[in-house]
Amino acid sequence: MASRKKVLLKVRSPHLLRATDSKPPKRIFQLTQPCYKQVIILGDSGVGKTSLMNQYVNKKFSGSYKATIGADFLTKEVLVDDRLVTMQIWDTAGQERFQSLGVAFYRGADCCVLVYDVNNSKSFEALDSWRDEFLIQASPRDPESFPFVVIGNKIDVEENKRMISSKRAMTFCQSKGNIPYFETSAKEAVNVEQAFEVIARSALAQEEAEEFSGEFSDPINIHLDNDRDGCAC
Amino acid sequence: MIGRALVECLKLMNKVYVHPTSSSKDNIAGFIALIQQKPTESHASSSHPNRPETPSYLLAWVPESSLGEAYDTYVKVDLAGDDSTPRQKYLVPPLPTTTTYKDPIGLYSFAVPLSEIYSLLVRPPSLGWWFGSLVINTRAGDGFPALFFHDDECESTILQKKKKVKESFDPFSTEGSLFWGGDEILRWLRRYAEVQRSAVDRNVYLINPSDEDQLSFGRPVSHGDRSISAKAQPEAAAASKQPETPDANMDPFMKTLKETRWKVLEQLSKITTFTRRTANEIADNPRIPPQVRRLMKNPEIQTLQDEFDSARVYLARWAMSVAEQSDKERNARIWTAQDMLEMENSSVGDFEILELETGNLGLQERRRVLQLPEWEGFFDQTSGRLQITVEEVKERIFHGGLDPNDGVRKEAWLFLLEVYPWDSSREDRQALMNSKRDEYIRLKAGWWERMVEGNSTSEQFDHWKEQKNRIEKDVHRTDRTIPLFAGEDIPHPDPDSPFAETGTNVHLEQMKDMLLTYNEFNPDLGYVQGMSDLLAPIYAVMQDDAVAFWAFVGFMDRMEHNFLRDQSGMRGQLLALDNLVQLMDPQLYLHLQSADSTNFFFFFRMLLVWYKREFDWSDVLRLWETLWTDYYSSSFHLFIALAILEKHRDVIMDHLKHFDEVLKYINELSNTMDLVPILTRAESLFKRFERSVQAIDKKDNFPAAPTAHQRRPGNSQDSSSKGKSPQQAAIGSSSGISGPSTLQNAVNADKPKVISPELRELLRKDIPWRRQPSS
Repeated sequence: MASRKKVLLKVRSPHLLRATDSKPPKRIFQLTQPCYKQVIILGDSGVGKTSLMNQYVNKKFSGSYKATIGADFLTKEVLVDDRLVTMQIWDTAGQERFQSLGVAFYRGADCCVLVYDVNNSKSFEALDSWRDEFLIQASPRDPESFPFVVIGNKIDVEENKRMISSKRAMTFCQSKGNIPYFETSAKEAVNVEQAFEVIARSALAQEEAEEFSGEFSDPINIHLDNDRDGCAC
Repeated sequence: MIGRALVECLKLMNKVYVHPTSSSKDNIAGFIALIQQKPTESHASSSHPNRPETPSYLLAWVPESSLGEAYDTYVKVDLAGDDSTPRQKYLVPPLPTTTTYKDPIGLYSFAVPLSEIYSLLVRPPSLGWWFGSLVINTRAGDGFPALFFHDDECESTILQKKKKVKESFDPFSTEGSLFWGGDEILRWLRRYAEVQRSAVDRNVYLINPSDEDQLSFGRPVSHGDRSISAKAQPEAAAASKQPETPDANMDPFMKTLKETRWKVLEQLSKITTFTRRTANEIADNPRIPPQVRRLMKNPEIQTLQDEFDSARVYLARWAMSVAEQSDKERNARIWTAQDMLEMENSSVGDFEILELETGNLGLQERRRVLQLPEWEGFFDQTSGRLQITVEEVKERIFHGGLDPNDGVRKEAWLFLLEVYPWDSSREDRQALMNSKRDEYIRLKAGWWERMVEGNSTSEQFDHWKEQKNRIEKDVHRTDRTIPLFAGEDIPHPDPDSPFAETGTNVHLEQMKDMLLTYNEFNPDLGYVQGMSDLLAPIYAVMQDDAVAFWAFVGFMDRMEHNFLRDQSGMRGQLLALDNLVQLMDPQLYLHLQSADSTNFFFFFRMLLVWYKREFDWSDVLRLWETLWTDYYSSSFHLFIALAILEKHRDVIMDHLKHFDEVLKYINELSNTMDLVPILTRAESLFKRFERSVQAIDKKDNFPAAPTAHQRRPGNSQDSSSKGKSPQQAAIGSSSGISGPSTLQNAVNADKPKVISPELRELLRKDIPWRRQPSS
């Protein structure tokens, strides 16, 4: 997949559904065509990456997720300023030694989510190296402006167990170029939706920035049978 | 009854059985024959007065065992072929002619004059009956025992089929019917009598029916002018019946089954044919509801479904589930275990080797579960030493697996995991286990003291604390659905633990202790995620922490390379899998290449924890003990991967075009797969691999031919359909993430195959990457 820009054509409204019988005018699809965005979630094992993803996509929490081995993803469609964005969210294993094989998922990411557990200082301290690792492996064209979002998860745990204050986390995020920061509870569905809305916006902004630079300036043909194509939004 | 003169045998078919009981052991093999008696014979005649010309023909059945020296002649007639008129006359001793059938015990052979036959009840092979059958009803009202056509054993029928293959290139497509023995009998009879299919019951054929019979059972009155008897107009009768089309048609479904089995016999089959066709048939099958067919043809519409990640992944899953469902239904409806095995095998299409090498009974015998008494019988009663070879034990475990309930695993796994040497005596083992228990306690005390006293550097302690947290986190999310690990009935011993509030149970605590002890035992490696998955089944079987620990250590000796910091072990296996697919299924490989999927990352989870997340708990135990035997190869787990890939190869090639789609599809196979068919397929694939390597090695002993190397069939077709030549595909992937070897290998696709060191290692039974087994 690498740097491939993905568009999965989705037929949304009933009148368009009917239009699939014959080739529809290109214009309609350009107006409604969603963008396909790739988001990767990184962070130490057990901070709640899988739980966050499932809470966001499936609105479900389970205490019995197994440790993620390898990688998996879920997709979700969101509307951002009337534009339909299909997000492919990649969940990876947390133990650092498994990251070396995961390079495949780093490349082509439009936004990187760094997750830590507010009750585990070690997982917070690791954020910096996760960020560095991502920038090295993914080597985005403009590392300075590449969108990250930091999430401090498990705020549902009782206050006296909390190891990392909001202030400390925000200071860190500011120092790294004003990374947006959210504190969430995947268990109780607190702030998860909000965090991912910003993630979607960041990913979308990333696409526009790249497009502006002319990387994807080729004319784009859209056919129904060609379900993946350059992003035309 | 008729003198000693020989009679002439006109037609004969071998391997027609009487099934006196429901047990196949009691089946009696014999010949069905059409016999002409000398016209001079005066027949004990109850023959129909209107048909003086027929009594001299007899339809007979005679068991092989009663033939004596006439057997050879019979075989000759059987193989004389399909010529309408035999060039040579074959004379055989006369058979006792009967018109009634009264003695079911002693008298199985019989010969019935055609004139005495009232009707034949003909049942083509069907879902209920694997073998087609024929029952003779006489005018006297007697029914003879059903004759079953074991067509797959009958040489003349096989020859007939072959001939039809040559003539039509597709013996099975004619009107949805497959040639079988019963057709042939009807064809014979048509030469000598009028055969008319009953309009009332399509399985009944009337022989020389009277006008009244015709009125009652024959063709409908409206069908023609009944005043002209069919006999008087043999041409017309023949034309209306179209005898070249076998009448006793099979259900089309059965036809597919028979066809597949037939192909196995013919050794013509390629692994792909069955599944590819099945997939196509699904899309075009009129029985599938139209809306579903539309889905298949219009994937765009499917994208409305939000819960699925991509149309193709969904459709791929769906196509596979339909295919599997029909597999299951088929299996559920075909009865004998024998047939089940053959089904399983033939649907893979590549089982001729297994069949030929072992014979079916042998195979079935070998697949019997190994139970405790048989296991104990392997050992000398007094000394407790193994009395048979290790290879024999491993063979039994490989094919049969161990009984899940009788405790044999507790013992046998310790041998398989090399805690016990195979040549040890009972006494040796007791002594060994005693010292192992002591050692476990000692190792455990090592970290226990550290935890309590903290007498180590802070850095060491931090690392240890981190490992402890990681272990605890993982143990609390490992196999909690298994009753053993489900409970949270005791308070957490450590109030500072993140799990202090949720509670724990004694087995989770044991798991933590064992993993912390392993962390101590193998400090270079330490605990790595995935190890808890490997330990849980062993502990569940042993239910003794010290014993389970050492069994786990034995397992880790071979699994260690999966967990190395640089991931070299995993990379090596993914590369070996890459090479294996390239050799065994180049077309699939090219497709994966075009989908940027030759990193085979989607097998990472399966290889890391040996399919622990993919199969049911009970299947995992069965799989692991199979793999532990190293019966064919210490890398047999890669053939499991290949078997899984091959099972889904058509779906992958038809539907999945990108890495993420392939990964999603493979990830979602988790908990949908049946183990035993995969084991069988993997075994077959291993043998094919072994033969390929041998063949290539042999070829390499000769100087290369000077001409251009032969292009593998399918390559050109494949590349045109994919719109990419192998070279282009290779270039496409070189910018992607595929392994370093793929570019070169694909470019060399037309060159002679070379067996890479990775592939050659797959033939080894020892474990090349293992450190010295810990003692």
